[in-house]
Order: sequence, then structure tokens, then C-alpha cells
Amino acid sequence: MALKPSFSTEISNLLYAAHGSPINSCIQCGTCSGTCPVANYMDQSPRRLIGMINADLKDDVIDCNTYWFCASCYHCTVRCPADIDIAGVMYAVKRYSIWHKTYGEDLVGPQFSEAFVKTIVRSGRSYEPLLAPSYMTHFGPKEFFQEVVTASKMMLKGRIPVLPPRIKRLDNFKNMIRKIIPLGESS
Amino acid sequence: MSKDVQLLIIDDDPDFVEGIQSILTKAGYAVDVAYNPKEGFKALKSKKYDLLLLDIMMGRGAEGVMVARKINKDPVLREIPVLIITGIREQMAFLFPGQPIHPRFLPTDELLEKPVEPDFLLEKVNHLLELAKEKKSN
Repeated sequence: MALKPSFSTEISNLLYAAHGSPINSCIQCGTCSGTCPVANYMDQSPRRLIGMINADLKDDVIDCNTYWFCASCYHCTVRCPADIDIAGVMYAVKRYSIWHKTYGEDLVGPQFSEAFVKTIVRSGRSYEPLLAPSYMTHFGPKEFFQEVVTASKMMLKGRIPVLPPRIKRLDNFKNMIRKIIPLGESS
Repeated sequence: MSKDVQLLIIDDDPDFVEGIQSILTKAGYAVDVAYNPKEGFKALKSKKYDLLLLDIMMGRGAEGVMVARKINKDPVLREIPVLIITGIREQMAFLFPGQPIHPRFLPTDELLEKPVEPDFLLEKVNHLLELAKEKKSN
């Protein structure tokens, strides 16, 4: 009979497909934090987050914004001397937080992820004008105006399409999604 | 119900597992638990189980579906009835709001949604075990 898993084991279980990436082999060298381009904006650095996961400080891990600020550049994963998939860990904690609904209401991350997945499932491509509302509301009026001006310029130059792009054979793609996610109209 | 009915739970949520495990143990079933799909599959291969209670959202996504499909492909494991207990609608509802879970996305499954009523769970488990017995005797 398996014992009730600790928080660190729960997070490892969420990395199930990432064999050979045990978070408990972290040597706390800090390479990840030194590499991270957004570490300055995080409550806890990636090194500390992994230390906290290993110490089973569940509430502190869930409460911090580190994993929502991760830009998924994978630089930490590439440079980790202990071969830990740190960006993967960030995604695992995100999944944990979303599945257990423990994230704060005012966070951009969950709303952005939701909007992103929705547009992908609907059209197979991401479309910035649909993604923008998930984070634009958090801007001040000046930044908001700046963003609108930049987006309009990009649209005029053809860098942002006016109509949402669609992939070819969208029905095939949607059928594939239905095979993976047993939700929605039955296939 | 005698202790020789062996159930296996594959679910990554320890608190939920604790709940249904105590319900099932109280009802007299012998219950084993695996907290990830890999361990669960190992357990299925190593011991004979009468029923599998399976979660969907595990690991990197809907890995429960993969486990169920793998079981379906295995001629021995295919005989085990599978009861899926999932909170997928809660977790992924934003993708297909208001739409149901595929009623029979796998040919062998029964499906319950979290949270589960204890009596309803026991009823479903009994029903599946009886169906499996009938199938065996035919």
C-alpha cells in the first residue's frame, strides 16, 4: 500500500512524464535564480521555490507568485547542473494551483492561460487581440493607451492579423483535442 | 462484502483518496492506492484486481485517459471493470462550458463526477462488480 504522498511527491507526480527529473536532487546552487530573466519580479526565486517544495511548505509555495511569473524561457532547465526540469516544475505547480483552485482572483496568469487555451482549441492558433483583455485590465490608463497604440501600429504593418487566423483542417485538429480531453460534444 | 474483493484506486489527490478509501474499506473491500499512473500500472500488472477506480486529470494532463486506453489494449487487464471518478468538468469547464463529459468515451467505463456521494459510489461499485461476475459466469 502506498503511503500518503508528501507535497513534494505530489508535485513530482505531476511531472510524471518527466522521468529522471527528481526535484529532490536539487543542490541549491542558485544557477536557476541567477539565470532567470524575471526573478526580480518574483516573491521567491526559483531556487527558493524548489527548496520550499522539498521542505513540503505547501501553503507558502501555493501563495507565492513565482510560478505564475515564469516566462517559460527554459534557461534554468538548460543550465541546471542537477538536470531538473525547473520550467516543468513551474508548470506542475501551476497545474496543481489550477486543479485545486488555489490561485488568487487578481492574478493575470490563470486568466491568460485560460484565454490562450480557449483560442487554441477554437481555431488552432493564438490571436493577440483575444488574449489581450486577460491582462490589459491590470494596466493603468497610460499603459493601456500605449498598448492600444502599439497594437494598432502592428496591425497596420500586418504583424497582427485583423481577423483571427485559422489552421487548415481545423476539424481534424478539433477531433484530436476531443480524443485527448473527454469533454464537450462526443466524437 | 468479503475482504477478498480487491479494488485499486489510481488518483493523485491524496485527500480525495483518503475519503473514498475509508468509505470503501468500511464497506468491507480491500483497497490499494496508487498516486500516479506509473505506479498504478505497475500495481495492475503485479496483482489481480476486481475493480479499478481511476482519476482522469493526473500528471501532465488527462493521463487517466491514457491509462484507460492502455488497459483497453491489454487482453488481460481489459477484463477489469473501470470506474472513472473525475473532477474534469470543474477543472476544464472553461474549455467547453456547459457541455457534458463524453458519455462513453471508453467502452468499459462507468463515470462519476467529483464530489461523490458515498452511497452512490458504493452502489456503482457493487453494480460494476456484479456485472463483471455475470460476464465471467457466461
